[in-house]
Amino acid sequence: MDTDLIFSINTGSPEPIYRQLVEQLRRRVASGQLVAGQEIPSVREVAQALAVNPMTVSKAFGLMEAEGLVERRRGLPMVVAAQHQKAMRTRGRVELLRPALEKAAAEARQLELPPEQVLSLFKALLEDKGETR
Amino acid sequence: MNQTLTIGQAPAFVDDAAGAVPVRASGLRVDFKGQPGVLAGLDWTLAPGQVVGLLGRNGAGKTTLLETLLGLREPQGGEVRLFGQPALMPDDALRARLGYVPQHSALFEDFEAGDLLRYFRSFYPRWNDTKVDGLMSRWDIPRERRVGQLSQGQQQRLSIIRALAHEPDLLLLDEPVASLDPAGRRDFLRELVDQVLDRGTTVLFSTHILSDLERVAFNIAFLSRGRIALHASQDALLDEIRLLSGPIGRLQAAVDTHGGQVLSRRDLGEQPRWLVRFASGRLPESDAALRCEALNLEDLFLEMTQ
Repeated sequence: MDTDLIFSINTGSPEPIYRQLVEQLRRRVASGQLVAGQEIPSVREVAQALAVNPMTVSKAFGLMEAEGLVERRRGLPMVVAAQHQKAMRTRGRVELLRPALEKAAAEARQLELPPEQVLSLFKALLEDKGETR
Repeated sequence: MNQTLTIGQAPAFVDDAAGAVPVRASGLRVDFKGQPGVLAGLDWTLAPGQVVGLLGRNGAGKTTLLETLLGLREPQGGEVRLFGQPALMPDDALRARLGYVPQHSALFEDFEAGDLLRYFRSFYPRWNDTKVDGLMSRWDIPRERRVGQLSQGQQQRLSIIRALAHEPDLLLLDEPVASLDPAGRRDFLRELVDQVLDRGTTVLFSTHILSDLERVAFNIAFLSRGRIALHASQDALLDEIRLLSGPIGRLQAAVDTHGGQVLSRRDLGEQPRWLVRFASGRLPESDAALRCEALNLEDLFLEMTQ
């Protein structure tokens, strides 16, 4: 699979690159875009494709493995772990949004915005573009 | 901050005796006429295989530091050892392990690009012709053209090729991409990544283009007031450092309860702001009175150097 299709990074973000990579994979697995047994590009491939320090990629892969997202196989590419047979149910997937939405909710409260207005902004964002890069 | 603050992936202690430490600087002092303390007792160590981005404001002395580390400039005090040897008296074997891309490439303008590379080739026991040929064609540098007639970007790329050709173990780059367009920069970064992957090269580079540094540098060092004020892994910087703002009482309470280390504080005005490191990984929560903000590298840099 083309590395660029699995991973991309945002520079200038307060979120470290290793965490961006882990979260992208988590979302792809949760949505069923990646399923059990599917191969993940190597540290080398990702580092080269994104022009990112290999240690950063390696750290992200270590966390993915620790979290049970991927499995390491001796001498072979890593694959999506066996338990991820299909997409998580919607209820589980929506929970992945909780941290981002909690943060947005806290900021909305600090700004003393009426909930309706915040929700309509979120709705507009959802309809405008499926996925941010 | 007078001492170097090391966070996260701190340079591990490595024994110097075997010559394993690529760079060890101790007590470096460089004074310019009318500008004392450009380097003011700077201590620093780079561990093998580290890729370090050097940050500092304009005039902080980054170029002076790189030149002094390479032994191109004699410090008024202190010493630099490269792989255990004094940087000021490198033998051929040490010289062959070093690569340098200066800010302004000082290549012989009357040479044809191809001849220039052949000339440098004669100084080095090792020279990767395949890499050189590949980069020359990929980076579109005509071998027959005189160096002086190449564009700024081409000269810079040629300077990079010249520094990579002998496969150095330690590579120092001073604003290496200033004249490259975004595509050229990305290609250069890939080349650096390859070096690190294939050879475990230790790399130190200064740049003002933070997005490049974010990608390639695992560690970041801040040069400020003639010293390395901070040397840390980027991940630790972003994960552990927060900008707190709010009433002083609240700031102090947040620091105390979460075991924070205050890196800088500005207590003037209505809204005091403290830059705090929480090494425990437990971070205070924002509320109506206290703001706890994660910073990107650029904002962190601005806060650190103010």
